[in-house]
Amino acid sequence: MAEAKDAPRAGDLAFERLYRSSRDDVYAYVAGLLRDSAAAEEVTAAVFERAYRKRNRFNPRRGEPRAWLFGIARNAALDELRRRGRQAELTKDPADLESLGSSESAADSERRLAVAAALERLDPRERELIALKFFAGLANAEIAQVLGITESNAGTKLHRALTKLREACDGNA
Amino acid sequence: METPRDEQLAADLRALRSTPHPDFADELDKRAAAGFPRHSRLPHFSFARLRALPPRRLMLATGALAVVAIAVTGVLVATNDTSEQQSGSSQLGFLNSYDGDAEEPAPTTSPPVETSAEEAQPSNGIESAAGSASNNRPVRREAQVVLGTDPAKVAENATQVLETVRTYDGIVLRSSSHQGPEGEAGAHFELRFPSAKLAGALAALSEIGELRSRHDTSLDITAPTVKVGELLQDSKARIDSLLAQLGAAETESEREAVEAELRQERHYRARLRANLQKLQRKAQFSRVTVRIETDAVEDSSGGAWGVGDALDDAGRILAGAAAVTVVALAILGPIALIALLAWLAHRAWLRRERRRVLG
Repeated sequence: MAEAKDAPRAGDLAFERLYRSSRDDVYAYVAGLLRDSAAAEEVTAAVFERAYRKRNRFNPRRGEPRAWLFGIARNAALDELRRRGRQAELTKDPADLESLGSSESAADSERRLAVAAALERLDPRERELIALKFFAGLANAEIAQVLGITESNAGTKLHRALTKLREACDGNA
Repeated sequence: METPRDEQLAADLRALRSTPHPDFADELDKRAAAGFPRHSRLPHFSFARLRALPPRRLMLATGALAVVAIAVTGVLVATNDTSEQQSGSSQLGFLNSYDGDAEEPAPTTSPPVETSAEEAQPSNGIESAAGSASNNRPVRREAQVVLGTDPAKVAENATQVLETVRTYDGIVLRSSSHQGPEGEAGAHFELRFPSAKLAGALAALSEIGELRSRHDTSLDITAPTVKVGELLQDSKARIDSLLAQLGAAETESEREAVEAELRQERHYRARLRANLQKLQRKAQFSRVTVRIETDAVEDSSGGAWGVGDALDDAGRILAGAAAVTVVALAILGPIALIALLAWLAHRAWLRRERRRVLG
């Protein structure tokens, strides 16, 4: 009886798996939105705490766990931005940008700086799409669930954002 | 299909990805392993926690809550019944105190309005009425007593009722008694008791048989008594004036005219006096109805408590619970609706604000 009581429940195990697989992705996505590592840490912790408290309310029929988690992360990050009254900025900290080239070739570093600069010129919604896809590593279907749109719509929007990003990079070059 | 340039762009974007600081990652891991303990040590209630409960436990908790609610309602209903009974007793207590005051010669011993001619100081009666209004307000009292007894004891109990009437100087207005089997045998009395002795009479009547119910009511009749007294005083003044005119009349026609007016005023005054006496009688004598029944006891106060009584009680408690629920819904419904609308409005506002953040 005591063993059964002490044994972790299925929900706890599932949450632990979700946490292990998504911790860094959530942080990357939130940091991409907030562009502030300290705030990103705070919001990431709050996201997982909120998800932990709500873990029994998760309904698998309504979507994937990662999409659910990133929905929470999105709301928390946007609330944080709203509190600050700042515009969403999907670029890295200037300090990080400066450190980009430390372990890479000069060509790679230059190209990535150009990508970061091009990213800044994108529409905030497009930048969020890029963050969800490449910082958080979500599939198109998961992005669609997070944003509340269809998967094909998410794919189309993402394609447009990448095209604009590529054009911006070409413009920089 | 992705081109090499697309792959390169994707790789560059992934390279821009931030990674959490190892210290933060360790700390978050520890908090996650501990189940994100709350900072506050106070027990925290939230609907999320409530919803997180297993359905079986939630149903048990809801059932327990419903049982407690029904029990509380039952107690409230029972208390209400008791308080109703106690209010009858308290009214009796009021009568007792009135009885004590009335030991001094109040309405019963005061001169009942003048009965002779208008010359015989009619103001005594008016003053008496006014005095009783100020010192001891005239109150009309009524009581209904229902007694239960065996069919064989109806005659004996009826005799005891009449003895009680004699003992307390009461009057029997009407009485009827029927012999027969249970349910048919019974007696009915319409009695008058001096108000000063009502409490004692009711106590004595209540002991004759099994007291099934007793209702006491009282009505303050100060206002009509004072009003009639004032009209009587005005009428007396008018008669005095007419008598003076009569003495001063010089011609026969003048005398006849004043005498006619005087007759009319005396007639009016007699009617007022009768009304005042009627009011005083109402205050001095209380109406008591006594019914002796031989029906089976309906409530649980006397006989054995059976399944029927249990069903009755259960029905009463459920009706009470339903009434409480309706009242609670009437109060909580609008509040819940307002809260729901506020929550929906807040949610819509929050969504709009979040969209606005992204431009």
